[in-house]
Amino acid sequence: MEQETIEQKELDTEQVPEDGVVIRIEHLKKSFGGNEVLKDINLELHKGENIVVLGRSGQGKSVTIQCIAGLLEPDEGKLEVLGKEIASLNEDELKDLRTKIGFLFQSGALYDSMTVRENLEFPLTRVLQIKDKQELTKRVEDALDSVGLKDAIDKYPSDLSGGMRKRVGLARTLILRPQIMLYDEPTTGLDPITAREISELIVTLQEKYETSAIIITHDMPCARITADRIVVMNDGKYIATGTYDELSKSPDELINNFFK
Amino acid sequence: MKLHLFLVAASSERKRSLMRTIMASAITSSLNRYMAAVGEQVSFATQFGRNIFRNGFEWNEFLRQCYIVGVKSISLVAVSGFIIGFVLTLQTQPTMKQFGAESFVPGMVAISIVREIGPMIIALICTGKIASSIGAELGSMKVTEQIDAMEVSSANPIQYLVVTRILACTLMVPLLTVMADALAFVGGWLGVNTQGHVSATLFFRKAFAALEFSDMIPAVVKTFFFGFAIGFVGCYKGYHASRGTESVGLAANSAVVTASLWIILLDAIAVQITNLLYY
Repeated sequence: MEQETIEQKELDTEQVPEDGVVIRIEHLKKSFGGNEVLKDINLELHKGENIVVLGRSGQGKSVTIQCIAGLLEPDEGKLEVLGKEIASLNEDELKDLRTKIGFLFQSGALYDSMTVRENLEFPLTRVLQIKDKQELTKRVEDALDSVGLKDAIDKYPSDLSGGMRKRVGLARTLILRPQIMLYDEPTTGLDPITAREISELIVTLQEKYETSAIIITHDMPCARITADRIVVMNDGKYIATGTYDELSKSPDELINNFFK
Repeated sequence: MKLHLFLVAASSERKRSLMRTIMASAITSSLNRYMAAVGEQVSFATQFGRNIFRNGFEWNEFLRQCYIVGVKSISLVAVSGFIIGFVLTLQTQPTMKQFGAESFVPGMVAISIVREIGPMIIALICTGKIASSIGAELGSMKVTEQIDAMEVSSANPIQYLVVTRILACTLMVPLLTVMADALAFVGGWLGVNTQGHVSATLFFRKAFAALEFSDMIPAVVKTFFFGFAIGFVGCYKGYHASRGTESVGLAANSAVVTASLWIILLDAIAVQITNLLYY
Protein backbone atom coordinates (compact mmCIF):
# COMPACT_ATOMS: atom_id res chain seq x y z
CA MET A 1 0.00 0.00 0.00
CA GLU A 2 2.83 2.34 0.97
CA GLN A 3 4.71 1.38 -2.20
CA GLU A 4 1.56 2.18 -4.21
CA THR A 5 1.43 5.66 -2.69
CA ILE A 6 5.05 6.32 -3.57
CA GLU A 7 4.57 5.07 -7.12
CA GLN A 8 1.40 7.11 -7.51
CA LYS A 9 3.20 10.26 -6.37
CA GLU A 10 6.00 9.58 -8.80
CA LEU A 11 3.57 8.85 -11.65
CA ASP A 12 1.85 12.13 -10.94
CA THR A 13 5.04 13.90 -11.89
CA GLU A 14 4.62 12.87 -15.52
CA GLN A 15 2.27 15.67 -16.52
CA VAL A 16 3.19 17.76 -19.54
CA PRO A 17 0.71 20.00 -21.38
CA GLU A 18 -0.16 18.92 -24.95
CA ASP A 19 1.67 21.84 -26.56
CA GLY A 20 4.87 20.78 -24.76
CA VAL A 21 5.27 24.13 -23.00
CA VAL A 22 6.15 23.42 -19.38
CA ILE A 23 6.53 27.06 -18.30
CA ARG A 24 4.68 29.96 -19.90
CA ILE A 25 5.27 33.52 -18.66
CA GLU A 26 3.30 36.45 -20.09
CA HIS A 27 3.79 40.11 -19.16
CA LEU A 28 5.18 39.30 -15.73
CA LYS A 29 5.82 42.28 -13.47
CA LYS A 30 7.29 42.46 -9.98
CA SER A 31 8.27 45.43 -7.83
CA PHE A 32 9.93 45.75 -4.43
CA GLY A 33 8.77 48.98 -2.81
CA GLY A 34 9.09 51.54 -5.57
CA ASN A 35 11.71 49.55 -7.46
CA GLU A 36 10.24 47.81 -10.51
CA VAL A 37 12.50 44.79 -11.00
CA LEU A 38 10.56 42.81 -13.59
CA LYS A 39 8.90 45.09 -16.12
CA ASP A 40 7.50 42.84 -18.81
CA ILE A 41 8.80 39.28 -18.87
CA ASN A 42 7.61 36.86 -21.54
CA LEU A 43 9.01 33.36 -21.87
CA GLU A 44 8.14 29.82 -22.94
CA LEU A 45 10.13 26.82 -21.78
CA HIS A 46 9.53 23.62 -23.76
CA LYS A 47 9.87 20.06 -22.50
CA GLY A 48 13.47 18.92 -22.54
CA GLU A 49 14.80 22.40 -23.24
CA ASN A 50 17.50 24.23 -21.28
CA ILE A 51 17.16 28.00 -21.26
CA VAL A 52 19.96 30.12 -19.87
CA VAL A 53 19.03 33.60 -18.65
CA LEU A 54 21.95 35.99 -18.95
CA GLY A 55 22.08 39.42 -17.44
CA ARG A 56 24.05 41.75 -15.25
CA SER A 57 23.76 41.52 -11.47
CA GLY A 58 20.68 43.13 -9.95
CA GLN A 59 18.57 42.80 -13.09
CA GLY A 60 16.00 40.48 -11.49
CA LYS A 61 17.09 37.19 -13.03
CA SER A 62 16.65 35.29 -9.77
CA VAL A 63 13.34 37.03 -9.07
CA THR A 64 11.87 35.40 -12.18
CA ILE A 65 12.64 31.86 -11.02
CA GLN A 66 11.55 32.66 -7.47
CA CYS A 67 8.17 33.65 -8.92
CA ILE A 68 8.07 30.36 -10.83
CA ALA A 69 8.78 28.38 -7.64
CA GLY A 70 6.07 30.31 -5.79
CA LEU A 71 8.55 31.92 -3.38
CA LEU A 72 7.52 35.37 -4.60
CA GLU A 73 4.14 36.55 -5.78
CA PRO A 74 4.13 38.49 -9.07
CA ASP A 75 2.36 41.86 -9.14
CA GLU A 76 0.94 41.37 -12.63
CA GLY A 77 1.03 38.94 -15.52
CA LYS A 78 0.37 35.29 -16.18
CA LEU A 79 2.59 32.49 -14.97
CA GLU A 80 1.76 28.92 -15.94
CA VAL A 81 3.76 25.91 -14.82
CA LEU A 82 2.85 22.52 -16.33
CA GLY A 83 -0.43 24.03 -17.52
CA LYS A 84 -1.43 25.37 -14.10
CA GLU A 85 -1.59 29.06 -13.33
CA ILE A 86 0.38 29.65 -10.13
CA ALA A 87 -1.83 32.53 -8.91
CA SER A 88 -4.96 30.37 -8.96
CA LEU A 89 -3.50 27.50 -6.90
CA ASN A 90 -4.36 26.96 -3.26
CA GLU A 91 -1.71 25.96 -0.70
CA ASP A 92 -2.07 22.21 -1.27
CA GLU A 93 -2.11 22.53 -5.06
CA LEU A 94 1.01 24.71 -4.95
CA LYS A 95 2.70 22.16 -2.70
CA ASP A 96 1.78 19.42 -5.15
CA LEU A 97 3.12 21.42 -8.10
CA ARG A 98 6.36 22.17 -6.27
CA THR A 99 7.16 18.45 -6.15
CA LYS A 100 7.56 18.71 -9.93
CA ILE A 101 9.93 21.69 -9.71
CA GLY A 102 13.52 21.42 -8.52
CA PHE A 103 15.38 24.51 -7.35
CA LEU A 104 19.15 24.63 -6.95
CA PHE A 105 20.06 27.64 -4.84
CA GLN A 106 23.21 29.65 -5.36
CA SER A 107 24.71 28.46 -2.08
CA GLY A 108 23.33 24.91 -2.33
CA ALA A 109 21.14 25.74 0.73
CA LEU A 110 22.00 22.49 2.50
CA TYR A 111 20.53 22.10 5.97
CA ASP A 112 23.46 22.79 8.29
CA SER A 113 22.27 20.69 11.20
CA MET A 114 21.88 17.54 9.08
CA THR A 115 24.38 15.19 7.45
CA VAL A 116 24.38 14.76 3.69
CA ARG A 117 22.34 11.56 4.12
CA GLU A 118 19.73 13.37 6.25
CA ASN A 119 19.64 16.25 3.78
CA LEU A 120 18.72 13.85 1.00
CA GLU A 121 16.33 11.80 3.12
CA PHE A 122 14.47 14.94 4.19
CA PRO A 123 12.39 15.41 1.00
CA LEU A 124 11.97 11.64 0.59
CA THR A 125 10.41 11.17 4.03
CA ARG A 126 8.35 14.37 3.96
CA VAL A 127 7.17 14.49 0.36
CA LEU A 128 7.18 10.89 -0.89
CA GLN A 129 6.48 9.60 2.64
CA ILE A 130 9.08 6.83 2.28
CA LYS A 131 9.76 5.27 5.70
CA ASP A 132 11.58 2.08 4.75
CA LYS A 133 15.26 2.47 5.75
CA GLN A 134 16.61 0.27 2.95
CA GLU A 135 14.61 2.10 0.30
CA LEU A 136 15.80 5.44 1.67
CA THR A 137 19.43 4.37 1.70
CA LYS A 138 19.19 3.01 -1.84
CA ARG A 139 17.70 6.20 -3.19
CA VAL A 140 20.15 8.43 -1.32
CA GLU A 141 23.13 6.39 -2.51
CA ASP A 142 21.86 6.41 -6.11
CA ALA A 143 21.40 10.18 -6.02
CA LEU A 144 24.84 10.76 -4.53
CA ASP A 145 26.36 8.34 -7.03
CA SER A 146 24.89 10.34 -9.90
CA VAL A 147 26.73 13.46 -8.69
CA GLY A 148 29.89 11.51 -7.82
CA LEU A 149 29.76 12.05 -4.06
CA LYS A 150 28.86 8.69 -2.57
CA ASP A 151 31.72 8.96 -0.06
CA ALA A 152 30.34 12.18 1.46
CA ILE A 153 27.17 10.52 2.70
CA ASP A 154 27.89 10.91 6.42
CA LYS A 155 29.58 14.29 6.28
CA TYR A 156 28.08 17.57 7.44
CA PRO A 157 27.70 20.48 4.98
CA SER A 158 30.39 22.40 6.88
CA ASP A 159 32.87 19.65 5.92
CA LEU A 160 32.20 20.09 2.20
CA SER A 161 33.74 22.46 -0.35
CA GLY A 162 31.61 24.90 -2.36
CA GLY A 163 31.54 22.60 -5.39
CA MET A 164 30.62 19.58 -3.26
CA ARG A 165 27.80 21.53 -1.61
CA LYS A 166 26.37 22.37 -5.00
CA ARG A 167 26.59 18.74 -6.08
CA VAL A 168 24.82 17.60 -2.92
CA GLY A 169 22.23 20.37 -3.42
CA LEU A 170 21.73 19.09 -6.95
CA ALA A 171 21.35 15.50 -5.72
CA ARG A 172 18.82 16.60 -3.08
CA THR A 173 16.83 18.47 -5.72
CA LEU A 174 16.88 15.64 -8.23
CA ILE A 175 15.98 12.95 -5.71
CA LEU A 176 12.30 13.86 -6.11
CA ARG A 177 12.62 13.45 -9.91
CA PRO A 178 11.32 16.92 -10.83
CA GLN A 179 10.22 17.72 -14.37
CA ILE A 180 11.52 21.25 -14.27
CA MET A 181 14.84 22.41 -12.82
CA LEU A 182 15.55 25.99 -11.84
CA TYR A 183 19.24 26.78 -11.29
CA ASP A 184 20.18 30.00 -9.54
CA GLU A 185 23.77 30.79 -10.57
CA PRO A 186 25.00 27.19 -10.25
CA THR A 187 28.66 28.00 -10.91
CA THR A 188 29.08 31.25 -9.01
CA GLY A 189 31.98 31.22 -6.56
CA LEU A 190 33.57 28.09 -8.02
CA ASP A 191 36.95 27.72 -9.69
CA PRO A 192 36.83 27.28 -13.50
CA ILE A 193 37.45 23.52 -13.37
CA THR A 194 34.73 22.82 -10.79
CA ALA A 195 32.40 25.24 -12.59
CA ARG A 196 32.90 23.29 -15.79
CA GLU A 197 32.27 19.99 -13.95
CA ILE A 198 29.01 21.36 -12.52
CA SER A 199 27.93 22.63 -15.95
CA GLU A 200 28.62 19.24 -17.51
CA LEU A 201 26.82 17.54 -14.63
CA ILE A 202 23.74 19.69 -15.29
CA VAL A 203 23.68 18.49 -18.92
CA THR A 204 24.30 14.84 -17.96
CA LEU A 205 21.53 14.87 -15.37
CA GLN A 206 19.17 16.68 -17.70
CA GLU A 207 19.63 13.88 -20.22
CA LYS A 208 19.32 11.19 -17.55
CA TYR A 209 16.20 12.56 -15.88
CA GLU A 210 14.72 14.28 -18.97
CA THR A 211 14.18 17.57 -17.20
CA SER A 212 13.58 21.02 -18.63
CA ALA A 213 15.59 23.81 -17.05
CA ILE A 214 15.99 27.52 -16.59
CA ILE A 215 19.55 28.39 -15.64
CA ILE A 216 20.34 31.81 -14.26
CA THR A 217 23.98 32.68 -14.75
CA HIS A 218 26.50 35.21 -15.97
CA ASP A 219 29.15 32.56 -16.41
CA MET A 220 29.64 32.27 -20.17
CA PRO A 221 31.35 28.84 -20.22
CA CYS A 222 28.40 27.50 -18.20
CA ALA A 223 25.97 29.11 -20.67
CA ARG A 224 27.83 27.60 -23.62
CA ILE A 225 27.80 24.09 -22.14
CA THR A 226 24.24 24.03 -20.81
CA ALA A 227 22.11 26.25 -23.05
CA ASP A 228 19.83 25.12 -25.84
CA ARG A 229 18.64 28.71 -25.97
CA ILE A 230 19.88 31.88 -24.28
CA VAL A 231 17.73 34.78 -23.18
CA VAL A 232 19.40 38.11 -22.39
CA MET A 233 17.84 40.25 -19.69
CA ASN A 234 18.29 43.97 -19.26
CA ASP A 235 16.34 46.61 -17.35
CA GLY A 236 13.63 44.17 -16.24
CA LYS A 237 12.92 42.82 -19.72
CA TYR A 238 14.18 40.04 -21.99
CA ILE A 239 15.82 41.89 -24.86
CA ALA A 240 17.14 39.05 -27.01
CA THR A 241 16.90 35.32 -27.46
CA GLY A 242 18.81 32.80 -29.54
CA THR A 243 21.43 30.08 -29.46
CA TYR A 244 24.91 30.72 -28.09
CA ASP A 245 26.35 31.04 -31.59
CA GLU A 246 23.57 33.36 -32.79
CA LEU A 247 23.87 35.73 -29.86
CA SER A 248 27.66 35.73 -29.88
CA LYS A 249 27.46 37.29 -33.37
CA SER A 250 24.92 39.91 -32.31
CA PRO A 251 25.71 43.47 -33.42
CA ASP A 252 24.10 44.79 -30.21
CA GLU A 253 26.92 46.04 -27.99
CA LEU A 254 25.17 45.10 -24.72
CA ILE A 255 24.67 41.51 -25.86
CA ASN A 256 28.04 41.31 -27.46
CA ASN A 257 29.74 42.38 -24.21
CA PHE A 258 28.70 39.13 -22.57
CA PHE A 259 30.47 37.07 -25.22
CA LYS A 260 33.75 39.00 -25.25
CA MET B 1 3.06 97.51 9.66
CA LYS B 2 -0.32 95.77 9.45
CA LEU B 3 0.76 94.01 6.29
CA HIS B 4 3.97 92.80 7.99
CA LEU B 5 2.02 91.40 10.98
CA PHE B 6 -0.42 89.71 8.60
CA LEU B 7 2.45 88.07 6.70
CA VAL B 8 4.09 86.84 9.93
CA ALA B 9 0.76 85.41 11.15
CA ALA B 10 0.14 83.71 7.80
CA SER B 11 3.63 82.28 7.78
CA SER B 12 3.37 80.82 11.31
CA GLU B 13 -0.07 79.42 10.43
CA ARG B 14 1.49 77.68 7.40
CA LYS B 15 4.28 76.29 9.61
CA ARG B 16 1.74 74.94 12.12
CA SER B 17 -0.28 73.42 9.31
CA LEU B 18 2.86 71.83 7.86
CA MET B 19 3.85 70.47 11.29
CA ARG B 20 0.35 69.01 11.74
CA THR B 21 0.57 67.32 8.33
CA ILE B 22 4.04 65.88 9.09
CA MET B 23 2.93 64.60 12.50
CA ALA B 24 -0.28 63.10 11.10
CA SER B 25 1.69 61.39 8.36
CA ALA B 26 4.27 60.03 10.86
CA ILE B 27 1.52 58.71 13.15
CA THR B 28 -0.35 57.12 10.22
CA SER B 29 2.78 55.45 8.90
CA SER B 30 3.75 54.13 12.39
CA LEU B 31 0.22 52.85 12.89
CA ASN B 32 0.30 51.15 9.48
CA ARG B 33 3.61 49.48 10.29
CA TYR B 34 2.31 48.37 13.68
CA MET B 35 -0.91 46.96 12.19
CA ALA B 36 1.06 45.17 9.47
CA ALA B 37 3.33 43.60 12.14
CA VAL B 38 0.30 42.53 14.18
CA GLY B 39 -1.28 41.06 11.05
CA GLU B 40 1.92 39.14 10.25
CA GLN B 41 2.09 37.75 13.79
CA VAL B 42 -1.56 36.66 13.70
CA SER B 43 -0.95 34.97 10.36
CA PHE B 44 2.16 33.25 11.76
CA ALA B 45 0.21 32.06 14.81
CA THR B 46 -2.52 30.72 12.50
CA GLN B 47 0.06 28.84 10.44
CA PHE B 48 1.49 27.39 13.66
CA GLY B 49 -1.96 26.22 14.77
CA ARG B 50 -2.80 24.71 11.37
CA ASN B 51 0.46 22.81 11.10
CA ILE B 52 0.72 21.18 14.53
CA PHE B 53 -0.63 17.82 13.44
CA ARG B 54 -0.78 18.30 9.67
CA ASN B 55 0.38 15.09 7.97
CA GLY B 56 1.78 13.68 11.21
CA PHE B 57 4.05 15.21 13.80
CA GLU B 58 7.81 15.76 13.69
CA TRP B 59 8.58 13.72 16.83
CA ASN B 60 12.32 13.38 16.24
CA GLU B 61 12.83 17.09 15.73
CA PHE B 62 10.56 17.87 18.68
CA LEU B 63 12.62 15.63 20.97
CA ARG B 64 15.85 17.13 19.63
CA GLN B 65 14.52 20.59 20.41
CA CYS B 66 13.43 19.48 23.89
CA TYR B 67 17.01 18.36 24.44
CA ILE B 68 18.45 21.65 23.15
CA VAL B 69 15.95 23.88 24.98
CA GLY B 70 15.60 21.83 28.14
CA VAL B 71 18.61 19.64 28.85
CA LYS B 72 21.19 22.13 27.59
CA SER B 73 19.71 24.86 29.81
CA ILE B 74 19.77 22.82 33.00
CA SER B 75 23.13 24.02 34.33
CA LEU B 76 22.37 27.71 33.75
CA VAL B 77 18.89 27.48 35.24
CA ALA B 78 20.06 25.34 38.18
CA VAL B 79 22.82 27.74 39.18
CA SER B 80 20.49 30.73 38.75
CA GLY B 81 17.72 29.11 40.80
CA PHE B 82 20.10 28.17 43.62
CA ILE B 83 21.60 31.68 43.78
CA ILE B 84 18.17 33.37 43.68
CA GLY B 85 17.09 31.41 46.78
CA PHE B 86 20.40 31.95 48.55
CA VAL B 87 20.53 35.72 47.91
CA LEU B 88 16.85 36.25 48.68
CA THR B 89 17.33 34.64 52.09
CA LEU B 90 20.49 36.61 52.83
CA GLN B 91 18.74 39.86 51.91
CA THR B 92 15.56 39.30 53.88
CA GLN B 93 16.77 37.46 56.97
CA PRO B 94 18.30 40.51 58.80
CA THR B 95 15.11 42.55 58.37
CA MET B 96 12.90 39.66 59.48
CA LYS B 97 15.20 39.22 62.49
CA GLN B 98 14.62 42.86 63.51
CA PHE B 99 10.89 42.17 63.69
CA GLY B 100 11.40 38.88 65.47
CA ALA B 101 9.91 37.09 62.49
CA GLU B 102 12.91 34.95 61.57
CA SER B 103 10.82 31.80 61.66
CA PHE B 104 8.77 33.15 58.74
CA VAL B 105 11.81 33.28 56.43
CA PRO B 106 11.28 29.79 54.90
CA GLY B 107 7.63 30.54 54.15
CA MET B 108 8.41 33.96 52.74
CA VAL B 109 11.16 32.55 50.53
CA ALA B 110 8.88 29.75 49.34
CA ILE B 111 5.98 32.04 48.46
CA SER B 112 8.16 34.66 46.73
CA ILE B 113 10.03 32.06 44.75
CA VAL B 114 7.08 29.94 43.69
CA ARG B 115 4.63 32.71 42.95
CA GLU B 116 6.77 35.29 41.23
CA ILE B 117 10.55 35.35 41.37
CA GLY B 118 11.13 31.80 40.11
CA PRO B 119 8.84 31.89 37.06
CA MET B 120 9.73 35.44 36.12
CA ILE B 121 13.51 35.28 36.43
CA ILE B 122 13.81 31.83 34.87
CA ALA B 123 11.60 32.95 31.98
CA LEU B 124 13.81 35.98 31.42
CA ILE B 125 16.96 33.85 31.61
CA CYS B 126 15.43 31.41 29.12
CA THR B 127 14.55 34.33 26.88
CA GLY B 128 18.19 35.37 26.78
CA LYS B 129 19.38 31.87 26.07
CA ILE B 130 16.63 30.25 24.02
CA ALA B 131 14.78 33.03 22.15
CA SER B 132 18.07 34.50 20.95
CA SER B 133 19.36 31.12 19.84
CA ILE B 134 16.14 30.26 17.97
CA GLY B 135 16.03 33.74 16.41
CA ALA B 136 19.63 33.47 15.25
CA GLU B 137 19.28 29.88 14.01
CA LEU B 138 16.15 30.47 11.96
CA GLY B 139 17.44 33.88 10.85
CA SER B 140 20.58 32.25 9.56
CA MET B 141 18.54 29.51 7.83
CA LYS B 142 16.44 32.22 6.18
CA VAL B 143 19.47 34.18 5.02
CA THR B 144 21.20 31.09 3.61
CA GLU B 145 17.97 30.11 1.81
CA GLN B 146 17.57 26.86 3.77
CA ILE B 147 13.96 27.73 4.64
CA ASP B 148 13.24 28.55 0.98
CA ALA B 149 14.81 25.22 0.02
CA MET B 150 12.42 23.39 2.35
CA GLU B 151 9.50 25.32 0.95
CA VAL B 152 10.29 24.65 -2.72
CA SER B 153 10.84 20.96 -2.04
CA SER B 154 7.25 20.82 -0.72
CA ALA B 155 8.43 19.96 2.77
CA ASN B 156 6.70 21.94 5.49
CA PRO B 157 9.16 24.34 7.19
CA ILE B 158 6.54 25.64 9.62
CA GLN B 159 5.83 22.13 10.88
CA TYR B 160 9.47 21.07 11.01
CA LEU B 161 11.10 24.25 12.31
CA VAL B 162 8.44 26.34 14.02
CA VAL B 163 5.94 23.92 15.57
CA THR B 164 8.66 21.77 17.13
CA ARG B 165 10.54 24.71 18.64
CA ILE B 166 7.47 26.46 20.04
CA LEU B 167 6.11 23.25 21.59
CA ALA B 168 9.52 22.33 23.01
CA CYS B 169 9.76 25.76 24.70
CA THR B 170 6.17 25.50 25.96
CA LEU B 171 6.96 22.16 27.58
CA MET B 172 10.50 22.75 28.79
CA VAL B 173 10.26 26.22 30.37
CA PRO B 174 7.76 25.05 33.04
CA LEU B 175 9.96 22.02 33.83
CA LEU B 176 13.04 24.22 34.11
CA THR B 177 11.13 26.61 36.37
CA VAL B 178 10.01 23.82 38.71
CA MET B 179 13.59 22.60 38.90
CA ALA B 180 14.89 26.12 39.56
CA ASP B 181 12.26 26.63 42.28
CA ALA B 182 13.39 23.43 44.02
CA LEU B 183 17.04 24.51 43.89
CA ALA B 184 16.08 27.98 45.13
CA PHE B 185 14.64 26.28 48.23
CA VAL B 186 17.97 24.52 48.74
CA GLY B 187 19.76 27.86 48.26
CA GLY B 188 17.38 29.44 50.77
CA TRP B 189 18.10 26.74 53.31
CA LEU B 190 21.87 27.23 52.91
CA GLY B 191 21.34 31.01 53.16
CA VAL B 192 19.56 30.61 56.48
CA ASN B 193 22.38 28.39 57.71
CA THR B 194 25.00 31.05 57.08
CA GLN B 195 23.65 32.85 60.16
CA GLY B 196 22.75 29.97 62.41
CA HIS B 197 21.69 26.37 62.26
CA VAL B 198 18.33 25.33 60.85
CA SER B 199 17.78 21.70 59.90
CA ALA B 200 16.70 20.90 56.34
CA THR B 201 13.60 19.11 57.65
CA LEU B 202 12.47 22.14 59.61
CA PHE B 203 13.21 24.56 56.78
CA PHE B 204 11.38 22.56 54.11
CA ARG B 205 8.46 21.73 56.44
CA LYS B 206 7.97 25.44 57.15
CA ALA B 207 8.44 26.36 53.49
CA PHE B 208 5.87 23.85 52.20
CA ALA B 209 3.45 24.65 55.05
CA ALA B 210 3.30 28.22 53.79
CA LEU B 211 2.45 27.14 50.24
CA GLU B 212 -1.03 26.39 48.96
CA PHE B 213 -2.28 25.05 45.66
CA SER B 214 -3.47 28.55 44.83
CA ASP B 215 0.19 29.61 44.92
CA MET B 216 1.51 26.79 42.81
CA ILE B 217 -1.08 26.16 40.10
CA PRO B 218 -1.30 29.68 38.62
CA ALA B 219 2.49 30.01 38.88
CA VAL B 220 3.04 26.80 36.91
CA VAL B 221 0.29 27.58 34.40
CA LYS B 222 1.78 30.95 33.53
CA THR B 223 5.16 29.39 32.78
CA PHE B 224 3.55 27.46 29.90
CA PHE B 225 2.54 30.83 28.44
CA PHE B 226 6.03 32.20 29.06
CA GLY B 227 7.50 29.19 27.25
CA PHE B 228 5.11 29.65 24.36
CA ALA B 229 5.99 33.36 24.13
CA ILE B 230 9.73 32.58 24.10
CA GLY B 231 9.36 29.98 21.33
CA PHE B 232 6.87 31.98 19.30
CA VAL B 233 8.79 35.26 19.35
CA GLY B 234 12.12 33.52 18.66
CA CYS B 235 10.66 31.65 15.68
CA TYR B 236 8.76 34.66 14.35
CA LYS B 237 11.77 36.96 14.46
CA GLY B 238 14.07 34.37 12.90
CA TYR B 239 11.60 33.26 10.25
CA HIS B 240 11.01 36.85 9.16
CA ALA B 241 14.65 37.93 9.12
CA SER B 242 15.40 39.94 6.02
CA ARG B 243 18.30 39.01 3.75
CA GLY B 244 21.84 39.75 4.88
CA THR B 245 24.03 38.62 7.72
CA GLU B 246 23.26 41.73 9.79
CA SER B 247 19.63 40.64 10.02
CA VAL B 248 20.65 37.45 11.87
CA GLY B 249 22.01 39.50 14.78
CA LEU B 250 19.01 41.81 14.62
CA ALA B 251 16.63 38.84 14.71
CA ALA B 252 18.35 37.41 17.80
CA ASN B 253 18.42 40.77 19.55
CA SER B 254 14.88 41.67 18.68
CA ALA B 255 13.69 38.20 19.80
CA VAL B 256 15.14 38.76 23.28
CA VAL B 257 13.72 42.28 23.65
CA THR B 258 10.25 41.38 22.38
CA ALA B 259 10.01 38.10 24.31
CA SER B 260 11.09 39.85 27.53
CA LEU B 261 8.37 42.45 27.07
CA TRP B 262 5.84 39.72 26.35
CA ILE B 263 6.80 37.88 29.53
CA ILE B 264 6.44 40.98 31.69
CA LEU B 265 3.07 41.73 30.09
CA LEU B 266 1.87 38.13 30.46
CA ASP B 267 2.98 38.12 34.09
CA ALA B 268 0.96 41.26 34.82
CA ILE B 269 -2.10 39.67 33.20
CA ALA B 270 -1.53 36.38 35.07
CA VAL B 271 -1.34 38.18 38.43
CA GLN B 272 -4.61 39.97 37.74
CA ILE B 273 -6.35 36.75 36.73
CA THR B 274 -4.96 34.89 39.79
CA ASN B 275 -6.16 37.66 42.11
CA LEU B 276 -9.61 37.55 40.52
CA LEU B 277 -9.83 33.77 40.82
CA TYR B 278 -8.37 33.15 44.28
CA TYR B 279 -8.52 36.30 46.37
